[in-house]
Amino acid sequence: MIGEEGAVSLLMGNEAIARGAIEADARLVIGYPGTPSSEVIQTLAPLAKGLGMRAEWAVNEKVAFDTAAGAALAGSRCLVTMKSAGLNVASDSVISIAYGDVNGGLVIYVADDPAAHAGMEEQDSRFFTKVSLLPMIDVSDPQDARDAVVDAFDLSEQFKIPILIRSTSRVAHMRGTVTLGPVRRIRRSAGFVRDIRRFTRASPVWCMEQHARLNEKIESMRSVLEGSRLNELHIPEDHIRVGVVASGVSWNYLREIVTRHDLTGLVTLRIGTVNPLPENLIRALIDEVDRVLVLEELEPYIELHLRAMIGDLGKPVSVYGKHDGTLPRVGEYNDNLVERALGKLLETRLVEESPELEEMRAEASRLAPRRPLPFCPGCPHRATYTAMRQALMELGYGEGDAIITGDIGCTILGMHPPFNMCWTEVSMGASIALACGLRYAGIEKPIIAAIGDSTFFHAGIPPTVNTAWYDTDIVIAVLDNRVTAMTGHQPSPGSGYTATGEETEPIKIEEILEASGIKMVRVVDPYDLKRTKEAFIEALQEKGPSAVVLRRVCSLVARRRGMIGKPSAVDPEKCTGCQLCIRTLSCPAMGLTTDGKMVIDPTTCMGCGVCAQICPFDAVIPGGAEND
Amino acid sequence: MSQGLEVRVGETLGMAQRGGSVQSHVRLGEDVYGPLIPDGRSDVVLSLEPAEALRVSRYVGKRTTIITNTSPYLPISVLLKETTYPKIEQITSILHRLGGRVYSIDAMELAKKAGSSRSLNIVVLGAYMSLGEPVLTPDAIKEAMASSLPGRYLGQNIRALKLGMDKMKELIS
Repeated sequence: MIGEEGAVSLLMGNEAIARGAIEADARLVIGYPGTPSSEVIQTLAPLAKGLGMRAEWAVNEKVAFDTAAGAALAGSRCLVTMKSAGLNVASDSVISIAYGDVNGGLVIYVADDPAAHAGMEEQDSRFFTKVSLLPMIDVSDPQDARDAVVDAFDLSEQFKIPILIRSTSRVAHMRGTVTLGPVRRIRRSAGFVRDIRRFTRASPVWCMEQHARLNEKIESMRSVLEGSRLNELHIPEDHIRVGVVASGVSWNYLREIVTRHDLTGLVTLRIGTVNPLPENLIRALIDEVDRVLVLEELEPYIELHLRAMIGDLGKPVSVYGKHDGTLPRVGEYNDNLVERALGKLLETRLVEESPELEEMRAEASRLAPRRPLPFCPGCPHRATYTAMRQALMELGYGEGDAIITGDIGCTILGMHPPFNMCWTEVSMGASIALACGLRYAGIEKPIIAAIGDSTFFHAGIPPTVNTAWYDTDIVIAVLDNRVTAMTGHQPSPGSGYTATGEETEPIKIEEILEASGIKMVRVVDPYDLKRTKEAFIEALQEKGPSAVVLRRVCSLVARRRGMIGKPSAVDPEKCTGCQLCIRTLSCPAMGLTTDGKMVIDPTTCMGCGVCAQICPFDAVIPGGAEND
Repeated sequence: MSQGLEVRVGETLGMAQRGGSVQSHVRLGEDVYGPLIPDGRSDVVLSLEPAEALRVSRYVGKRTTIITNTSPYLPISVLLKETTYPKIEQITSILHRLGGRVYSIDAMELAKKAGSSRSLNIVVLGAYMSLGEPVLTPDAIKEAMASSLPGRYLGQNIRALKLGMDKMKELIS
């Protein structure tokens, strides 16, 4: 990460983004954790102090963007990072700031997730350029990622406009060689001059002036972006009048397949600047070909432009892509898909078709047992959902008699067996207002909104206030494990420390709940099943809104800090092999002996003692593992 | 990298400690760009869990050597008898039919012998070190372990590497 100019380093795409920020001398790098974007700030946080940089996790993406926009207005270079859903959260401000000028470079890094590896929508954020009009660079490997950040900061300052850099999971998490550039020192003193004609949108006249100016900026950037090193047009002398346009990770697949099959006669255009598109290069390609294949994951963004341009030029060029069904709009591309598409384009067989081989591969995947993500050993959420179920049962509600709206993060894993608790997962903080809506519609069952601590801080507070305002009878369960766990244990306002390790006063969720107007608030340790169950019973019996805060640090964080208990053990004399513990808790530390008795793996057990509270035969000895 | 080769590593991050499935694709060569190994074109598969070898079967072909640990890590669904776990012979047979050469070793047992089940990965890596022309040398691995592991874990991992190497030599001869 810290290396000399010209050195070649093996970096992950997100690390290369971080390296670019160091080289461009970003003063502030701020974001909200979200797979696959989180590693940028994680990489920079431990280095920030030494670099004179501020690296920060904000409470949500909009707050992150607004903070960066403020700093950029005062002349600082700022990078904001987020996943695709985060861009939606920030979009209100991004679209507004696009209308005004920024003084320091302002770069927004957004990572999309084709194939939904992180379990969210397959949003194609390139289309955000249509809403915001902002320029966007789409990167295809770690070298691109570094280059794009360095270039984007200069462009952002030259044209006084925020620039978007977009990657996808495969690029963000791909490691590759990166040639490092020089680390520049760009120091400015902060300054901001009042100019409401540029920095407010409060007058329709000013607003339209700014809109026109934004359009002018994009037009004047067109030729500069066209010449970007991330665009490459290759027209071989003896080409075969067949072309391929590729963007993002697909560019890598294309390059490899061209070498593998020696397809030297292809005209190729790699597009790195997706807004504004390099129209001169596209036109030059159209001039040379009769057939063209477009390689881009998710939606047909480039393909639509290309088709429109071909139409304008009135040239009979056939386009292969999503519209004709050559390639899918769902999921991610891979070498095989691209190779087949090229075969179709070239009317030749590049991939040996073998039904037997495909059948064998299918058989192999059928044989592999699924591994749905369980809660980790010692996870406090396992205890929470267990106690929640016990409370519902004690009040006479069976399976399906209560609705639990889930939220984003580890807490949603309560949807899986053996808990089968969560019914919905929508977006950050949605669980609470969704629960209210269900109640408004006339649902009479108990309704519990289950939300994590970081999610609550991110977007759970406004719906909590709304719940109290309209006195809606729901239970808000805040599963407070003190960190943003799912994305890699980044700190949240309740953690008591910042991204760079400074200690802070933990912000107490119960105080926010009370201040929002929720009158019945209980705070419990979920490892204590009995008290947790009682708190849920109280909350469920309350007429009107109530809340339970389930406070216990994430077990993986606890393990790292050496705060976990001694592993538990099973007394084989007492264990009857009833398997109630496995059926209730499904802890990965549990196994079975050949005679059907429960056994605890001492290397994975965190000693939470919850299984000991479940066993009707007292067969689990908390902390009972023998020393190695 | 020191030989001027392009390096690409593609991976799924973070799911292993939650009991999920994780793959890392390591690629070295002159014309290597994509993050994933193309179908059927892997040279070596190191599988730390037998059924996980099935999950990468798409990348197995005639040039592939597979080294797999034989002790299963059972998903809870198997304990609850909701799904079944394949027999080791079924796993090796299908990998073999896909064209691969399969070497099975009980890496869990060897890791425990070395001092901790956590060194299972190093046992499998050690086995690879004794096979043909590995892209890394045992010394390079020892060096990497010495620079990244706390001292107290170094001994067991060096033992694990050696046990894996010895086991593969025994299998080949």
